[in-house]
Amino acid sequence: MLELAIGIILGCCALGAGAAMIAGIGPGIGEGNAVAKACEAIGRQPESKGDVTTTMLMGCAIAETTGLYALVIAILLIFLAPGRFVNILLEAIK
Amino acid sequence: MKIDKTVTKETVYIAGCVFSMSIIMQFVFIIIGEWNYTVLLGNLLSFVAAVGNFFLMGLTVQSAVNKEKKQMESTVKISQTLRLILIFIVTAVGVTAPYFNVCSVLIPLFFTRIAIFIRPFYDKITSRGSDK
Repeated sequence: MLELAIGIILGCCALGAGAAMIAGIGPGIGEGNAVAKACEAIGRQPESKGDVTTTMLMGCAIAETTGLYALVIAILLIFLAPGRFVNILLEAIK
Repeated sequence: MKIDKTVTKETVYIAGCVFSMSIIMQFVFIIIGEWNYTVLLGNLLSFVAAVGNFFLMGLTVQSAVNKEKKQMESTVKISQTLRLILIFIVTAVGVTAPYFNVCSVLIPLFFTRIAIFIRPFYDKITSRGSDK
């Protein structure tokens, strides 16, 4: 029974981490669109290349943070949460 | 490949901001009495990951600008995925290895966002300085 409970905890943590990483898809699409639009802008006004690149870099970095939040949640769920939850379970049994 | 001036300038700005915020974080750890060498090592690892990620993103954007639209989108998507995997490996090492403090590994990853948030204020201050 205890093995089953630990297995459920590990499985749920892995599922949660996988679900969290769905958020990693968004920044990739967003950055791709941002760069495409920025290139159109540079094509129209080549003299504004520096300004557009700076704004685009900042925009890409902001978009990427969303993926990083998800990554941190996934890492916590994979590496730290199972140990904590199993400890709580074992203490509850005692 | 020649590195664009804008990419270098922005990376230096981000590195400076992340470094300053890392020092503040170290002081916070000292104040709350949780400081030891693992905090410093974790912060170093995370600093390299955060700044390296931004620099690689800058290089990707720089190279993508000269490509065609379809190719450019796929380049950025692939780069984003690879960088995410790279950060995952670095943070996984930081979280599992006993030489790094978990909080000091994870927190500096978000300093880039704060650096971008304070960018308009920094620009205002530097433009005022150059006007005088």
